[in-house]
Amino acid sequence: MQHLILTLSPTSVPGTVLTNTVMVGCVALLHVLFATFLIGSCTLVALSEGISMVTHDERHERLARSLVHAWGYIFSTGAAIAIFFVIFVLVGVWGRFFVTFQQFTFWVWFFEALTFVGEIALLYTLYANWERMRAYRLARLGMVLLLNIDQWFQMFFIDVIASQMLSPTVQGATDNTSYLLQFLNPTNLPLTVHRTIGNIAWAGAIVTAVAAYQYLRVTRRQEATALVPGRRAPVRALGAMPEGELVRERNREAAYWDWAGQWGMLFAFGFTIVQIWVGYSYAKEIQLHSLDSWYQMMYGWISNIFLAQFAGVGLIFIFGVAYFWRRLKAAGQRLAARRQQIALVLLILLWLFGIQPAWLAGSYPDIVAAHLAKPFWDGGLEDPLGFFFPWKVMVLIADMLIALYAITSFVRARVRTPMTMGQASRGSQRLLIGMAVVVGLMMLIMGIIRESSRSPYLVNQNITISHQVILQQPAPNIPLSQRPIGP
Amino acid sequence: MSDRRLGTEVPGAEAPGSNGATPPEERGDFIGLFPEPVLGPFRRSWAWFDDRTGISGLLYKGLYEAVPRQGGWAYTLGSATLVVIIVQFFTGIFLLLDYVPSVTQAYSSLLYLRTNDLFGDWMRGIHLWGAYILMLLIGAHALRTFISASYKKPRELNWISGVMLFFLVLAMAITGAMLPWDQASYWTAVVVTNIPHYLPVIGNGLRTLWRGGDFVGPVTLTRTFALHIWVLPALLLGLIGGHLYLLRRHGEFGSWVNYRTTTADPGREVAERVRHAEPPYPTRGADPQYSAPSQTVDFFPDQLFKDTLVSLVLVVFIFVMGLISGAPLDGPANAATLTYVPTPEWFYLPLDQLLVFFPTALVGFGVFVVVGIGATLMLALPFIDRNPERHPIRRPDVLIPAFFLIGTVIYLAMLGVNRLYNL
Repeated sequence: MQHLILTLSPTSVPGTVLTNTVMVGCVALLHVLFATFLIGSCTLVALSEGISMVTHDERHERLARSLVHAWGYIFSTGAAIAIFFVIFVLVGVWGRFFVTFQQFTFWVWFFEALTFVGEIALLYTLYANWERMRAYRLARLGMVLLLNIDQWFQMFFIDVIASQMLSPTVQGATDNTSYLLQFLNPTNLPLTVHRTIGNIAWAGAIVTAVAAYQYLRVTRRQEATALVPGRRAPVRALGAMPEGELVRERNREAAYWDWAGQWGMLFAFGFTIVQIWVGYSYAKEIQLHSLDSWYQMMYGWISNIFLAQFAGVGLIFIFGVAYFWRRLKAAGQRLAARRQQIALVLLILLWLFGIQPAWLAGSYPDIVAAHLAKPFWDGGLEDPLGFFFPWKVMVLIADMLIALYAITSFVRARVRTPMTMGQASRGSQRLLIGMAVVVGLMMLIMGIIRESSRSPYLVNQNITISHQVILQQPAPNIPLSQRPIGP
Repeated sequence: MSDRRLGTEVPGAEAPGSNGATPPEERGDFIGLFPEPVLGPFRRSWAWFDDRTGISGLLYKGLYEAVPRQGGWAYTLGSATLVVIIVQFFTGIFLLLDYVPSVTQAYSSLLYLRTNDLFGDWMRGIHLWGAYILMLLIGAHALRTFISASYKKPRELNWISGVMLFFLVLAMAITGAMLPWDQASYWTAVVVTNIPHYLPVIGNGLRTLWRGGDFVGPVTLTRTFALHIWVLPALLLGLIGGHLYLLRRHGEFGSWVNYRTTTADPGREVAERVRHAEPPYPTRGADPQYSAPSQTVDFFPDQLFKDTLVSLVLVVFIFVMGLISGAPLDGPANAATLTYVPTPEWFYLPLDQLLVFFPTALVGFGVFVVVGIGATLMLALPFIDRNPERHPIRRPDVLIPAFFLIGTVIYLAMLGVNRLYNL
């Protein structure tokens, strides 16, 4: 392998491989957080706008408006990061790779760039004219749906690139020009579905975090007001509004943010349930079509990050069900709250069982090399109860079923006994913020796992990170035991 | 009495005994619909025939039955399913005229049908596309019934017979796919007849019984043929009869939109509605609120027109696709081949893909336990969902898990298609 690369006269790249990789990773992940929120929130806006048109629910109208207003700032920032990423990071640091890769994925990049034109036109039009278009709500909704489609294709095209890097459809550089095969890449479909769902969950998480923060802010003032006995004078905020009106206004605000937190939370929590199943299928496709990457994820140093991902899923459910419990308790629905409490206990127990590592070392090859691949009670470093098959799979299935039960039970309780908004405890809102933070971390961790699993390749078996050139013939498979461990 | 085409608002209806359907005095006998020049020569013959069979009474009863007014287009899926099943029966009979169920002649008889029979290949295409559309129709019909909660008391058996019909149609499809005895059908037979052996204790015996030995061979084809044209159709016809009888007994439920109350006194409104209900309403055993729709129309001509139109469009589509796309025929079955990769029909892709996720040792668990749980849940749905509510928004306890499952099935199908492209 080494002599094959050296014969290609590689040009050195600025910086070291490690610093370059870290820089690319950081900028890319930052960009991802903005872009994915935009795509996911667009779906939430379409839903809220559609619901408000049918039910005339002002809360949905307000939520849609707020999100659209946020788009302007978020898209600007996200796009600036994307431009910085392509021009300065990719071209500057991995220029040879980027140019080479573009040679056989040109049209994918081209169409992705075209979707940006559509996105800019639609997004800024909506941002600037949302209020003016109120008289034409159907047209407004139509534009949001168009933007959804546009952004979905944008994500699809970048997924084609990502899956082509992870599991090139045909080994060897020259055969990679088949665009049909690139689109039908075996890992592309699960990745696209995984991201589509993840984007919505992420947008829901942001909505719920902002709503929870606002709720905490509003209710803090309420408590402060309540703490001053006999206070009659108008308070400081909201101009000359009398105190009674001010309290009513705060109650209205608290009710709105309580509702918005729940609404966003249902997407963040509900879509994460689906992610387990979709994520499993994605890992399966990677196993079938890019075995060495899968090996890195399951047995290499990345398995530790994968374990963190596993723990994160459990935490999302724990935070979510704890919120359900607290919220139902605050609403006085004792029986439903008790059900959530039981679900919470089960989830915590499952989480504790599930997070134990399968081996007490950096990676599995390490303990194999040290002849310690045997259970710890036999003097080895293996923990059989930590293996993915069957234990973690069973934990995931149980997590999924319990979470599905919990969200169904919560929604049922809400439907059967209307819940007064604004009664949520402050602790429940902190749980929402905690859940949103974990969802965000999961977005980052997932990116790190996928992009690191094919190390030392940029395009698996075709272009290496350190030399950025296409190997003139399909690369010989590096035996898994000899694969370098680490970025 | 208001215009019969528009139906009548029940509260305060002028004429007792009518719920918006055609008043009896306005209903002519069925034969009266035909213009005199057409009917004239046959009037006496018809009278003779009717006198002996009472068919006009039967037609009258069948055609002038009340059905819910709102959402009529959604209720066409059931009748369209029936029409496509009839198309399958007829095209199947035509195929039988040429097909020989023998491992030495099955393939050549289809080749003969393709090359020498004027419409033979088209007929095969229609049969295949009819099966495809049938799958989609039954799925859509079941989904509509599920969302509208039409399976609730007293229509539990309608749902159960419908689910069993769905399973039978799946069985028809898989047995039919084995008959051409080309490469695809031979390897389908190898895979499918092997499935029973995953059952503990009786599995191997069942496989041997179906195959007629340890391996797929002449007896396998004969037995599969017998299943496809005799056993399964007989069961299918019996269940269709039962399903239709139950439909007529309880009346079409429709959906929740037909049972909304609009007055300040819902109890009185519902009571009035029940009092004025046109047969088959009020539905016996149903909650009073859901025993009679607020507005009804006659099955003929209102609903029948919609049913006919939808069925016609689908039949035309099936005929066109049968002509354009036809039905594939691989090379003759060759048990010795090492390169052929069998691929399942699209409607089996979710199951096929599901099994990809199971380790080899657990395939039997996947086939029988996971699928068995799914089938049992479908059959037992009316007994699981005891919530009296019919509006989907008020039934999250079944809707959320169900959409999770439906999404899973769709996703599995997509993965399956993706896998086939990457074979």
